[in-house]
Amino acid sequence: MSSLLPIAHALVARKDLPVPAWLFAWGASIVLIVSFFALSVGWRTPRFEKDRWRPLAAGLSRALIALPAQIFYGALGVFLPGLAIYAGLRGTEAPDRNFALTFLYVTTWLGFPLFSIFLGDVFRPFNPWRAVGRVVGGGFRALAGQRPAHLRYPERLGRWPAAIGLLAVVWLEIVYGASGGVAVGLEPHVAAVAALVYTGYTLTMMALFGVEQWCRTGEVFSVYFGMFGKLGCFGVKDGRLGVRRPLSAATKWATVPGSAAVVVASIASTSFDGAQEGAFKGALESTFNRLVDAGVGLTSALRLTDTLFMVLCFFGVALVYLIGVRGMAGVPGAPSFKKLRTGFAHTLIPIAFAYLVAHYFSLFVFQEQAQFTYLLSDPLGTGTTDIFGTASSGIDFRLLGANAIWYVQVGALVVGHVIGLTLAHDRATAYWGDYRQATRSQYWMLAVMVAFTCFGLYLLSVANA
Amino acid sequence: MNSNTARAAVGAVVVVVAIVLLIVLKSGGSDTNATTKGVTTIVIKNGEPVGGIAQLTYNKGEEVRFKVDSDVSDEVHMHGYDIMKDVKAGGSVNFDFPATIEGVFEAELEGRKEQILELTVNP
Repeated sequence: MSSLLPIAHALVARKDLPVPAWLFAWGASIVLIVSFFALSVGWRTPRFEKDRWRPLAAGLSRALIALPAQIFYGALGVFLPGLAIYAGLRGTEAPDRNFALTFLYVTTWLGFPLFSIFLGDVFRPFNPWRAVGRVVGGGFRALAGQRPAHLRYPERLGRWPAAIGLLAVVWLEIVYGASGGVAVGLEPHVAAVAALVYTGYTLTMMALFGVEQWCRTGEVFSVYFGMFGKLGCFGVKDGRLGVRRPLSAATKWATVPGSAAVVVASIASTSFDGAQEGAFKGALESTFNRLVDAGVGLTSALRLTDTLFMVLCFFGVALVYLIGVRGMAGVPGAPSFKKLRTGFAHTLIPIAFAYLVAHYFSLFVFQEQAQFTYLLSDPLGTGTTDIFGTASSGIDFRLLGANAIWYVQVGALVVGHVIGLTLAHDRATAYWGDYRQATRSQYWMLAVMVAFTCFGLYLLSVANA
Repeated sequence: MNSNTARAAVGAVVVVVAIVLLIVLKSGGSDTNATTKGVTTIVIKNGEPVGGIAQLTYNKGEEVRFKVDSDVSDEVHMHGYDIMKDVKAGGSVNFDFPATIEGVFEAELEGRKEQILELTVNP
């Protein structure tokens, strides 16, 4: 018996069991063996650096991405989040019965990374703010007869606004949703108001810096989903849809400053969410108690504690990566520290995705059942509508056994690790002319990836324990 | 520097292996799937569980049994299994259902949003 610190999760009715010790040991061992194997079989010339892009048939490409299709995607992209905001404002405050939270934080936030990683940047056509921005920009051009004038985006700022925004989005869901020391989870109306505030902010920034510029560097969802999309196999070039070698587009992703911060923020926020259910439980509790003893209110103490640890996670993950980069910089023939720091950032994208799968796979499977049954039929959750006749359905929690969840979790971490190593090795062969030095530099990235993957496994092994 | 670098990398791997072993051995030692039999009573005083959130562990297929004695009137909601039962102030309510779903679940006083039980069902 222990008093548990409440965790602000609005939607999780079934939490994952901790990965058993034997599976943890197997997972960690496989990671180490795979890593040493990777070192010995490495290829000597880069394979992913060059663009290999083949156009799809013109008709197919046109049908999928020409203007009528764009209008359709854009309209759908505005309608569904619009519905979520409406449901959040007008619907029930029960988070699990309201369309808003599941749509924004599960279907969108977890669904787009999943589809992007295989297909490419699928969020771009559905991006509601981009759609609105383009319509407004088009209207301006038609009326004024000239392109709207934009401020010059400060290049040094790069993707930092998106990195900070990403932390803020996760913070809202897992930290803010607490009141009176009780974790009630994020309330739907709060999520809706936040979405409206974000809309105002995003449209303003688009007006200032231009729609495409802001999507490339500042708009959280574009940058975040787009990052995963770089691993996917479809891409648009000169208005034509084509197939590219998977992973290859990622090699150019981090050239914008602050990109490393985005991928670090992703790993860190998922880590924090996983760790608060296990690894950090004791530390969170004692910090919380200390704050309460110091006279801080319960809600503030809870939020302050969680915020503190989330920020610590960010710096912790960044530190591990930077140590690896520092180590590589010491290998003869290395490019500058700065170049290495951006040059290897994309190798962490697969790890970030693996963390997402490890921590949210079961939530996604369970919650999507709700999304496509009762939440679609009764978006407000008030029992007033039954649009598709599925309003009385429920979630079948028997769909996944604990074993299935464990294998997916550990499997994702191992596969993410291997892909990360692949990208890192490839980049090293591009940066170091000498193959032996390239391999030597990769001891460092290998240590970084082993650290992240084993930490991920560790988090799973103590989650909800 | 080169050999230092290699040594550092090997060192890092050794540290990781050591940590992995440590964790595995540690968790192996405390691997007590203490299955709770019989009926546990969760006493609610002033709307809060006495002694903190109760923790019950079962294996799949066993019968989950617990009783809630409450000094407040509320609804007890067993999440995941989605069982809801009303309890009156000064009254008690019995739960008795087969553990068919694996995972970790909460039971709470629905009106107060107060968690009173953490139920673990192992495969």
